[in-house]
Amino acid sequence: MIDALAWIEQTRLSVFVREDFYAYFVLLIFHAWGMAFLVGGGIAIALRVLGVASGTRLERFAGFIPFMWLGAALAIVSGLGLLAGYPAKALTNWIFALKFACLIGAALLVRRLRREAFPLATRGEALPASARWTAAGSLALWIGGVACGKLLLYTNHLLFASDEWMP
Amino acid sequence: MSLPNDPLFDPVGIVVWAIDVGIYDVMYSAWGWPVVELVHFTGLCLLMGAVGMFDLRMLGFVRGLSLPALHRLVPFGVLGFALSAGSGFMFVVSAPDQYLYNPAWQVKMGLLALAGLNMGLFYLTTSRRLKLLGPDDAPPLAARLFAGASLTCWLGVIAAGRVITAFRPPSWFWCAWCG
Repeated sequence: MIDALAWIEQTRLSVFVREDFYAYFVLLIFHAWGMAFLVGGGIAIALRVLGVASGTRLERFAGFIPFMWLGAALAIVSGLGLLAGYPAKALTNWIFALKFACLIGAALLVRRLRREAFPLATRGEALPASARWTAAGSLALWIGGVACGKLLLYTNHLLFASDEWMP
Repeated sequence: MSLPNDPLFDPVGIVVWAIDVGIYDVMYSAWGWPVVELVHFTGLCLLMGAVGMFDLRMLGFVRGLSLPALHRLVPFGVLGFALSAGSGFMFVVSAPDQYLYNPAWQVKMGLLALAGLNMGLFYLTTSRRLKLLGPDDAPPLAARLFAGASLTCWLGVIAAGRVITAFRPPSWFWCAWCG
């Protein structure tokens, strides 16, 4: 795997992301914007299921999901660019895997809410307690995913595949 | 780096104060800076989840949601802002020269001020008219403009915050008020 990471580090895209003054930071900005829409929408849905803004129709919160998809697309494309710049930094750090586990878990819980809780709300039926637990879980996972993303900066032990990083 | 002749801020005095009150020791403990960053970003998440989504609805997207009822999300945005502002304050007082003269941080603070001004004007001039709107009604043009300005400011705050590292003094130095 280290050989593959070292190969990625030598590609033109990887060198460009690292050496161009703007490239890395432009990717960071788009990544942050994408995460803002993805996580922001997820948090709004979770808060609503937990009982905040209960005067609104829950099923209409599905209207935020296209913005979450847009955010996810932005975050993934920019994230791949950032990953190309420093592949060993992320892919040798288990926090990176945890970030993805959190975000995928949160997205799956939102899908569950959409499939199970939203139809109940459309029919005017009360939500079961499990829906609140699902929402609370998704809220924790969204914030956990963002937290793991920030912790990547502090927990990587290898910056480049070719040499060890000394902090 | 030699410190500028700054008539407004005293970076050394700020750090001395941060040491006296214990913030400096917290920040430079083993996990101080990362934990405070997590608080900062959790606050931003809440802010986007509440204010950002309210702005999207007020822009005319996501019809079917009553704006007065959706406004109940906003206190979570205020909580998020308080978390971000408190943690941000801890960053600044622990390394003031890295923030006060940093172009990206100054732009971020300018956008924060604009977001605050925009919010104040919205509540003074337009928010009452929204109470009469039904869930499927389009918000008035003024509300859409306020929402667009708010979302633009907050996305700008996020962008400027992400590039603070790129514009650190002494490589970059902005101080229009320095002698």
